[in-house]
Order: sequence, then structure tokens, then C-alpha cells
Amino acid sequence: MALDDDDNPSLAPSPSPTPTPSTTPPAQAQATAEEQADLLEEDENAASQDFLAFAASLQYRKTAGVSAQTIRKGEKDFESHGTRAQADALEQSRGAMRDVLSYTRVHPGGGAAAARGWYFPAWWEGYQEREEEERGKEKEGEEKRPFGFVRERVVVLEGSSVASQALGRAVTGQAKDRPARGRDWLLPEEALYLVERGSLDLWWPVKELGEIFPPDGTVKEGKDKEVGEEGEGEEEVDEYEQGFPLSLQAAYALLIGNDGERGKISLQKFQVYSNLKRCGYNILRAPPPAKTSPEPIIPTPITTTLWQWFTSLLTKPTPSPPTHLPYGPLVQPGLYRSYASIYRQMALLPRHTPSTPLPPSPSEPTTQEAPFTIHFHVWKSAQKWTKLRHPPPDFHLAVVDAQDSSVPTLSQITPLLNAMPSDTGRPEWATGGAGRMYARLKHGRRNVLIAVVDHGVINYMRFAEGGFVGEELFGRFDGVRRGGGKGGGAGGGGGKGGGRNNGRGGRGGRGKGRGRGR
Amino acid sequence: MASPADRQVRISHVAGRYLVFDIDDVVHIRRHHGICAVLTGTMPQNPTQNLFLGLPVELHAEEARLLVDKGAGYIADELAEHLSQLTLASDAPARKAYLQHLKQQRRSAQQVFSEEKAKVQAMHQDKRKAKKSVTPPASSSEAPADTSERDAPASLFDTPASTPATVHNKKESSLPGVTPTTSQPLTTPPSSSYPTTPTLKNYPLCQYLNSRGYYTTPGLRFGGDYSVYPGDPFRYHAHYLANSYGWHEQVAMLDLVTSGRLGTAVKKGFLFGAEKPAEGGTSDRGDGKEKEKEVRVFCIEWAGM
Repeated sequence: MALDDDDNPSLAPSPSPTPTPSTTPPAQAQATAEEQADLLEEDENAASQDFLAFAASLQYRKTAGVSAQTIRKGEKDFESHGTRAQADALEQSRGAMRDVLSYTRVHPGGGAAAARGWYFPAWWEGYQEREEEERGKEKEGEEKRPFGFVRERVVVLEGSSVASQALGRAVTGQAKDRPARGRDWLLPEEALYLVERGSLDLWWPVKELGEIFPPDGTVKEGKDKEVGEEGEGEEEVDEYEQGFPLSLQAAYALLIGNDGERGKISLQKFQVYSNLKRCGYNILRAPPPAKTSPEPIIPTPITTTLWQWFTSLLTKPTPSPPTHLPYGPLVQPGLYRSYASIYRQMALLPRHTPSTPLPPSPSEPTTQEAPFTIHFHVWKSAQKWTKLRHPPPDFHLAVVDAQDSSVPTLSQITPLLNAMPSDTGRPEWATGGAGRMYARLKHGRRNVLIAVVDHGVINYMRFAEGGFVGEELFGRFDGVRRGGGKGGGAGGGGGKGGGRNNGRGGRGGRGKGRGRGR
Repeated sequence: MASPADRQVRISHVAGRYLVFDIDDVVHIRRHHGICAVLTGTMPQNPTQNLFLGLPVELHAEEARLLVDKGAGYIADELAEHLSQLTLASDAPARKAYLQHLKQQRRSAQQVFSEEKAKVQAMHQDKRKAKKSVTPPASSSEAPADTSERDAPASLFDTPASTPATVHNKKESSLPGVTPTTSQPLTTPPSSSYPTTPTLKNYPLCQYLNSRGYYTTPGLRFGGDYSVYPGDPFRYHAHYLANSYGWHEQVAMLDLVTSGRLGTAVKKGFLFGAEKPAEGGTSDRGDGKEKEKEVRVFCIEWAGM
């Protein structure tokens, strides 16, 4: 393969199955082109869905637990060669797929034992004002509850399962005589995800909410008993008196909608949601952006060691911004003892400092425009995480469709990044000095994840704001005169780089830096 | 079930997306129409992995239209249909049929459950017997009277073990709940009035590839419009990544280089094609469907000299 390692195009589209940018890039950057190709080839294999192996593993699972990783990836042929062996193998795969997929979701125990969801789309329709009130209270700091999206909640949960514990929300501050008080209400994606994984039985109510969940708690318990008796009972018509179960198809029909429809979620977002859920991430809808402008982020000063500080006292006077004469050479003639003072005079172009949000100028939109808005907050799975109390999110995620959108423009990505908290990566990077410069540049000062969905295939991309201003290379030229000062690159602009490849700006000047020490 | 030739695949149209829920339909279009599309749902059997996904299958708009044009499927507006069916009176025949079907499924589910339980019990008993038959030789020094004595409590133990199980079965007459994958008897047969999909830019290329037996999947993984497989992706790797262009559309040289190089990096050819517009514009869409339009396709590989 005729590819040089440093501009391998396969880096860019390589689909990463997990959105953990902090772990993948270092490994990938070092991989050669061949390895990259192999990686991609493997990724394709992963998508090949050898249901045969999966079906076998499911059989095996009944006796011993097997993780998904142990499933052997399918071997493939290059093309059809018309042999019966090939046809048989294909037929087997198809048969296995059919067997695996024709599984029906069953809730053993029936009746009250399984978690049951009731679809009441209109119940919270008029809730808007109260939500505002609650948010006002939230600002006072009395009780900090995350934004609830109560208006969007359409499924009320009866019973519970392990899978549903991190989902749903009970709406507090309700009058005592309201029906279904204290019940958990699910968002459409939560309900659909639970239905899909077989943890929830979604029911279509025939009666009103008040009849199914009578306001008084004691009556409700009686009703539960009643249901149990009914289950044991002889006549099943009674069981469907209050409502009846819906199919997966119906659940999709009722819960998937266009963007902005109340009580629904777009299919792309749902696919991202369930994809991350299956990976084990905790994921919540991001609260709507605050009306007030985000408070300026205080730049974290790059800490210097005591020795560095000491030497800087001895050698350098405080660098004042150079003044340029209206004519004459850019670098003033004179005696220079350091490169830094020369480079400083040559720095003419204004650069964007990523730690300060851009001042809102009339030409620049300050509000996030669809589809480049934060839709989900994602947390790595952790023991401490609960649906009401959780730390700031690990990732901010926007969901876009691959066919309907293009690469975000500066005016689209800027408000998005401005809304992000500062994230400078691991603490040891900040103190790591020049050795960790590329890690810092690559990670950026702020970042946002964008999930690109193409008809069910999801790709996660990370857009980070490169912090080239903080990484002045010429400062190192005056340091210890080593043989080959690594790196180079003339400063780099205030890069708002895209994708996983940002931070590569330093590449161009490699040769320059190397030649200097001789 | 209808013969494969005239099976009508139900394509659920939900919020602008095309989904197929019926496993028979999925297998059918995969086998007879060269459409594999993408499985998007969570597998209820193993819901914490992303390698193997389940129903529903999401189709491209192009694929949905292909099926409709072939006369092999129909598009149903799922939301409107479900709402109208669900809000019917409780004694409507459709709902009765649905509930009846559901009950049947629950019964069979219970049957499977009890069968499995019986199987497990039998297995345990077999194991116990095997243990029993293994232990005597190990303690062969013991008297034969001893083994008979040991047999007796074992058989005593066996009978109570089976009786609670049957009692349990009787108690559990409440059938397990079932979430069916499709709302089959509830949904109505094809309504011919439903509008077909709008004109699609990539449709000609998609149709062309499909008519020649190629399978296509979304190309996001490799950076094109489609990944093109020479047969069922179960057996083969993708050979091409394909982009569709307009006949008179200018193709930027850089795009060719980028995509060609990208395709080569993942061991695929870069394929691009366009449909030749009808000469003189005489043939309208009606009879244009019958006579195959000309689609020209090129393939680019990075030479790396």
C-alpha cells in the first residue's frame, strides 16, 4: 500500500465503536497505514453480523455467561464462486438470523410481576408553566433537580425492573388527589428502549389515567391485588378491561416522531440513545440551553515549576507586546540573545484564544442552530450515578443525520463550543510541559461530540477547539541546546480544528526544527 | 403464507423513515430482492452489546421505493393507522383478532416455558442419576445393600421435587405477558392511496446496482453514499464504495482523488455513476419505468505508482 503514515486518509472515517476519544487517539496515531486498513477491515467484519456464531453463543449462554466479545467474527469470501458449500454457508447464516430475530419478547409471570408502561401522551401537555416555576426555584438553590422534560413524558411506569431504575422521573409537587402520584414517567426514548430490550410491556390504555391509577394510595394497592387475582382468575377478558399490550411496531409508531414533536423522538436520536445505552453509558436529554449567556470561562493558567519560574526571572524581562514602526524591517535591527524576542516581533496575526468565549458580534450567531445543538449528556458508567444526582457530564453529544447535513460551519460550531465547559484533558498533561504538547493540542480546550447517523449506522466524531495559542514553540528554542529539537511548525493559527485529526498543525515544520541544532 | 413471488412487504413509514418489522419480510427481501438494509433494534436476548442488532430493519428511502416500484411492497403510515385502529371500539373485529392472536402467543410462550422447565428438570434428574451411577463404583468396597439403601432416599427425594413443580405450574395459570414484534392482525392490508416516496437523487444508481444483484448498505462506515457488496453481506466483503452524481454534475477532481484514495485504503474500489437523462425528454416517468434507463458507472482505484 502506497501510503505514508502521517496523512493516512483512513484515519478520518474510521468508525470508532465507542465514543471514548481519550483512549483511542494515542493508539491510532501510532498505527501504521497497514494496521489502519486492518482495523477498518475488522470493523467491517464486526458489522458482518455472523448470526450463526451469535445464535450459538446464545445457546451457550444458558449455561455459562459469554460476553459479546467472544463471538468469533465471521469469515467471508471474496466473491461468489457458485459452490454448494458457499450456498450452504449463506443459507445457514440466513437461517440463524431468522431464528435469532424471530424471538418474541416474553415477560414471565405475567400480570403485575413485569414492568408495565401505560401510554398517556396528553397527560403533561399543559405542564409548561409549572416547569418554569420549578426552574426558577432551582436557581435559588433550594432544591437542585435536573431539568425534567415533564411535558415530553408520555409513559407512566407500573412496577419496575432493574433496567428501568436509572430511567424515568416522578413529578414532584403534585396535589394529593392527582392520579398516579409518585409514579415514574418515562420519556419516549426511555420507554422505547425498555420495550426493545424486553424489560417493559407497553400498554394502550382504554380507560382514563385516574381509573388505572386511583389517586389514593391504599386503593391502588387493593387494585394491585385485584390484578393478581384476575391473573389467576378464570376469565381473561377482564385483564384487557383497562387496556391491552402494544407491539414493538406500535411502540415505534407512537414514540418515534419528527424533531420538535412533543412526546416523541426522532429515529436518529433514538438510535444513538439506544446505541450508547447498550454500551453501558448513562445518558440523559440535555436541558434546553439557558437564556443567559454562559459565564466566561476562567482560563486555567499553565502551571510552571518553581525552577522554571526562577529561570524566567533571571533570563527574561517581562515580554512587552512589541511595537512596530510604520515602516522598516519587521524585526528591528539590534542584538538578540534569544529567539523568543525575534519570534515575538514576528507574531503579527491575531489569534483566537480558546479559553475565552468569542465576544458576541452582530455577524455571529450566538444561539445554537439545529441540528448542531446539544441533545444528550453522556456519562461513563459509574456506581455513584443516579438519575437525579450526577456529576457534570463526561460528553456532550449532538446528533445529526448523515444525508441531511454537512460539516458544521464556523458559525454553527462556535456557539456549540462556547456552550461547552472547559475541558483540558488529564491534569498531568497540563504539567507535562513540551512532552505532552501534542496530547494537549489534540485534546483541545473544549470539545463536543457529534454523532452522525446514516440510516442506522452511527459514527461518533469529536470536534475540539485547538489551543495553539498556549503552545509557543519558540520558547523552547532558547532552552537547553539539544541535538534535535523536536517538533516545529510556525505557531499555528487559532485553529478550530475538526474531527479526530486536529492538532496535526505541527507537522509541517518538522524538518526545520531538526536542522537547527547542527 | 403467500408464495414468494407475490408477497407484499409492509414498509412502516414512521416520521420520514422506513422500517420493516416482520422477520418474514426481512428474510424475504434479503433473499429475493437483494436488500439487506440495517438492523437497528436492541436484541432482547442480549441487550448489552452493539455487534448484533435486531428488528426493526431500517431501509433507505431508495430501497423502500425500489420495493414499491417492483410491486413487492407497500408503504404504510404507521402512526395514523395505529391511532385509528387503537381508538376503535373495544368490540371491533380487528382488535378482537389482535387480542386473540396475543392470547395465542402467550399460551405458546407458556408452553415453551413449561417445556423448557421440564427439560431442565429432566436434565437435573439425569445428572443426579449419573452421579448416582458414578458414585457406587467409587465406593465399590461398600456393601450392595448400602447402595439400595441410598437409592431409596433418592427416590423419595425425587417425588416431592416433581410434585411442587406441578403445583407451581397450576398456580401459574396467569399467562406470561408478551410484547409482539408486529401488531399484525390489528394493521390493515395495503392502502393503495398512500403516496409513494418522493423522487430521490440516488435512486437510479441504487436501482441499477440492485438489478445486477449487488447489495448496498449505508456507506457511512467507508465515507461514501453506499457500500456495495457482490452478494449477501453475510458471505462477502464490500467491493466498492459508491457515490451517485447527476449526469451533468461537475465532479470535482479532488473528490475523485479523496474518495478513490479512501476506497483504496479500505481495500475497496471507488464507484460512481449517474443516470443518462432521457433523450429529448419524450419518455415521461410512466413508461420510463418499463424501459431501463441508461446508468453509466465508473470505478476508480488509487494506482500508487
